[in-house]
Amino acid sequence: MKKIALITALTLTTSLSAALADIKVGVLHSLSGTMAISETTLKDTMLMLIEEQNAKGGLLGEKIVPVVVDPASDWPLFAEKTRELLTVQNVDVIFGAWTSVSRKSALPVLEELNGLMFYPVQYEGEESSKNVFYTGAAPNQQAIPATDYFLEELGVEKFALLGTDYVYPRTTNKILEQYLKDKGIPASDIFVNYTPFGHNDWSKIVADVVALGADGKKVGVISTINGDANIGFYKELAAAGVSADDIPVVAFSVGEEELSGLDTSNLVGHLAAWNYFQSSKNEANASFVKKWKAKMGANRVTNDPMEAHYIGFNMWVNAVEKAGTTDVDAVRKAMYGQTFPNLTGGTAEMLPNHHLKKPVLIGEIQSDGQFDIISQTAEVPGDAWTDYLPESAELVSDWQSLGCGMYNTKTKTCIQLTSNY
Amino acid sequence: MQLFVLIMALLPVLLTDISLANQKSAQLVLQKFEKLVVRSSSRTVDSVLDALVSENAPETAEVLAKWEAKELYFLQTDKRFYFIDNRTTTNNDKIQLVLFDGSYGPLLTTDKALKQLKPNSGVRKKIRQELVRFQLQDTTPSVRALALTQLERNATQEHLEPLQEALASETEPNLRARMERLQRRLLISFGQDSSTRVTNIEFLSSDISVDVRQTLNPLIETELFILHASESLDGKNIKKQLIVGQDISVEDAYAILVDKGLEPRLMGKEERNKILIDNIKDGKVADIPVSLLNQQNMRDRAYTNLVAAGLAPNEFTTQQLRQKLTAYKFFEIYIEKDSAVTAAAEAALKDINQKVGFYKAFDLLLDSLSLASIYFLAAIGLAITFGVMGIINMAHGEFIMIGAYTGYVVQQIIPDYTIALLVAIPLAFCITFCAGVLLERSVIRHLRQRPLETLLATFGISIALQQLAKNIFGTQARPLTAPDWLDGALIVNDVVSISLIRIAIFFLALLFLAILIYVLKRTRFGLEVRAVTQNARMASSVGINPEKVNMLTFGLGSGIAGIAGIAIGLFAQVTSEIGSAYIVQSFMTVVVGGVGNIWGTMAGAGMIGGVQKAIEWLYPSNTLAAQTYMIIFIIIFIQFRPKGIIALKGRAAED
Repeated sequence: MKKIALITALTLTTSLSAALADIKVGVLHSLSGTMAISETTLKDTMLMLIEEQNAKGGLLGEKIVPVVVDPASDWPLFAEKTRELLTVQNVDVIFGAWTSVSRKSALPVLEELNGLMFYPVQYEGEESSKNVFYTGAAPNQQAIPATDYFLEELGVEKFALLGTDYVYPRTTNKILEQYLKDKGIPASDIFVNYTPFGHNDWSKIVADVVALGADGKKVGVISTINGDANIGFYKELAAAGVSADDIPVVAFSVGEEELSGLDTSNLVGHLAAWNYFQSSKNEANASFVKKWKAKMGANRVTNDPMEAHYIGFNMWVNAVEKAGTTDVDAVRKAMYGQTFPNLTGGTAEMLPNHHLKKPVLIGEIQSDGQFDIISQTAEVPGDAWTDYLPESAELVSDWQSLGCGMYNTKTKTCIQLTSNY
Repeated sequence: MQLFVLIMALLPVLLTDISLANQKSAQLVLQKFEKLVVRSSSRTVDSVLDALVSENAPETAEVLAKWEAKELYFLQTDKRFYFIDNRTTTNNDKIQLVLFDGSYGPLLTTDKALKQLKPNSGVRKKIRQELVRFQLQDTTPSVRALALTQLERNATQEHLEPLQEALASETEPNLRARMERLQRRLLISFGQDSSTRVTNIEFLSSDISVDVRQTLNPLIETELFILHASESLDGKNIKKQLIVGQDISVEDAYAILVDKGLEPRLMGKEERNKILIDNIKDGKVADIPVSLLNQQNMRDRAYTNLVAAGLAPNEFTTQQLRQKLTAYKFFEIYIEKDSAVTAAAEAALKDINQKVGFYKAFDLLLDSLSLASIYFLAAIGLAITFGVMGIINMAHGEFIMIGAYTGYVVQQIIPDYTIALLVAIPLAFCITFCAGVLLERSVIRHLRQRPLETLLATFGISIALQQLAKNIFGTQARPLTAPDWLDGALIVNDVVSISLIRIAIFFLALLFLAILIYVLKRTRFGLEVRAVTQNARMASSVGINPEKVNMLTFGLGSGIAGIAGIAIGLFAQVTSEIGSAYIVQSFMTVVVGGVGNIWGTMAGAGMIGGVQKAIEWLYPSNTLAAQTYMIIFIIIFIQFRPKGIIALKGRAAED
């Protein structure tokens, strides 16, 4: 008992002294609730990256201290926890959020208090905040290249867009529908379906998709199904005997982590599009995977949002060193044009629209739950406002020279600075 | 030193190369197209494949097969293509490259300069397409079957001849039947004379398979054809003439003419309004006050006035448009030229579609039965604890979760999935039975007759159990894999199929229905349960221990939830949230069916499953909305039958 008291006292003093001098990094990932399945891994990634940086001598001669909070997959709680991190804990930067709705919830607080957040997940675009750096993929870095791959390489003529019912799949599918129509696919050849979070009765939907092929056209599925609903979907797909040669499925939210809960022997050949796969052959990646496995256990895998945090954190460290301070505005200015080698080879670059320039990879699922990379593009610059929807085609985001995240190129005006849309 | 070894290793390669220079070589073709092979794309790979096939080297088939299987390698140092030797086991850390003729290539110590060729599935499809001609007459039946599968997916005219050759020598009856069928499909699409095609269409006209429909549907594709009234049709295969105003509206017909550039464009509404606005004078447009122009007929009149005054271009009335359209004839014509073929295809498809419609309804029925059985299994435990004992147990879903995790843990210990499943089912029952007894003893017993507090307490326990599961098993979904004999589906035909797991769950649900009915109606324990439920005080006065009966009943309900957990985990995902996904449906099933009655739970599950599938069928694009409509339906249903489908009558029904 005494020992415990002693330890508590010790940690209390260290955290007190930490509060005085050290650099604090807020980690805002759900550790409980539905999204814990994905976000816990990112918390561990951040702790690993911070530990590594401290071993290298910290930052600006100081130690980096992580402040981990749990917003519990409760979207409004993300706003509360962001406020707590910025006002009570006085963190210098936040790494966090997964779902778009949680990011949207934290945004107003970040903008009000001029905080800084790194958001590591692929998302639907149509947003640009001065206080957020989007290190995940924008639609043109994931959805559009994957659709092109379907159209050009696989010759798909009929599309089933299946998604979970929330903002990311709905916006992505809206963009894709328009994109497909522009490419000459008639509306009758696009089948859209939305299912709730955690849906598990897939038999009818799979049967509907199979029935699409009756008129002799090649069918492909673009899946924005999120979270654990994927497992039921793939199980039903396998049970129905749908092979990737007949009806290929490309998923935007299924990575190594999600596949680790599945027997993938029946899913071989189905596709996923990301900016990173663990199977990427590269020395930087090999050492990253090795470190991760050493820390978390041999059967753990790495995935795309982890790479996004890896790039984001290292860029932030470099920007702080360049600026010589952790002041948000100074760091933000130092971030533009920051480059850092990404784990798949090549270099990621931070653009003035707060998005990264990253390569797009398409992988085929293998029987061991890993992806076989069959296509890797050159670095694609992330686009905050998609060019495929008429209402956002004329918008651009440029915080460096225009100082505006929602700039209309036609009227040459800044529509608004905050992102309360 | 290393360089020397490399050169020595390359020497025989170089020598053989010279001797082979005049012979046919797949290697040379690949080297010629190096870029297109190494970074292959289905848009460019055709030229490579054509060259390879026309080179007709003896090793072509093997090279293609290896390339398709991602077993072809490119060595960047000597720009040659190799296989990797996996027979030699002596050089474990080294890579022995093999040339196409089987002789050894260089021995590598690292794979840095070696690039594995990974054709994407579009390219692989094209390679397989070329491989077919080598495989169709292969000596191994499995290779022929593979080639046939590929052809069935995507056969073209040029495959007809090799197929017919293969058919002549095929001996396996199974493969022969498939080849004949494929030949018929190819003859329908590419046959020379009309009568062959029609005969084959008629032959397949009772077949509802997707591939037959894929063959027939393109035959009846139509396009719109426009003709000046004076011209006459020749050689076109007309489906029908479209009559303006009947098959096609005047506006649509005119719009088509505009699209084709045959007629000038009409003014849009906005342009018309703009002209009206431009002509506003002193608050009036052509003597009509602007304030009146919020009505369409006034706008029309104002515009007519403007036209009369020569201030606006003339506009066609519908009458005039109709007049203009009489100059044209609209036809729907088949793209397929042969009218006998299209007629036969139409007739066949009409037949087929009728059958498909029938089977689709049947498939929907199977789906709803399956969903009903899943709901039944999830709710049947609740039917006892909530229905019979009247305890609102919000932690019921977590018993399902405990059962599912038990299945997962057993699978980790016992590698044979069949045995694991046989062990897991009773074990899950035992564990959740004990957990149920523990919950009853420690919490629910003290809160009897206080439903609100029971609800809150069990809800708290459910959250605690979920977090506990997260701490023990992590947040990742865990695999609960079905044994091989439950993998796959029962495929009646291309429309009706149901996965074997769902069938198994259906029978499991039936089994538990029988067991529970037996226990409650035919055993001493069942009698005691019913007695305690109806009147605990009276029951105790005739020598029944109500405490013990309550405890065991609660345990039984929980135990069945555990088994349901294994069943659900087999087709869905095992996560800590698995229970909360089913708790609402379970309560709904029990309430709709009628509280306190096992048959009612069955009826409730059947109704919810059926209604849900019916709504999904009516509204295929949003499953979430379908579930919402179902809840609305249930609320309305409960208004009319507050006691559920099967309501208890008599004294037992009195609360």
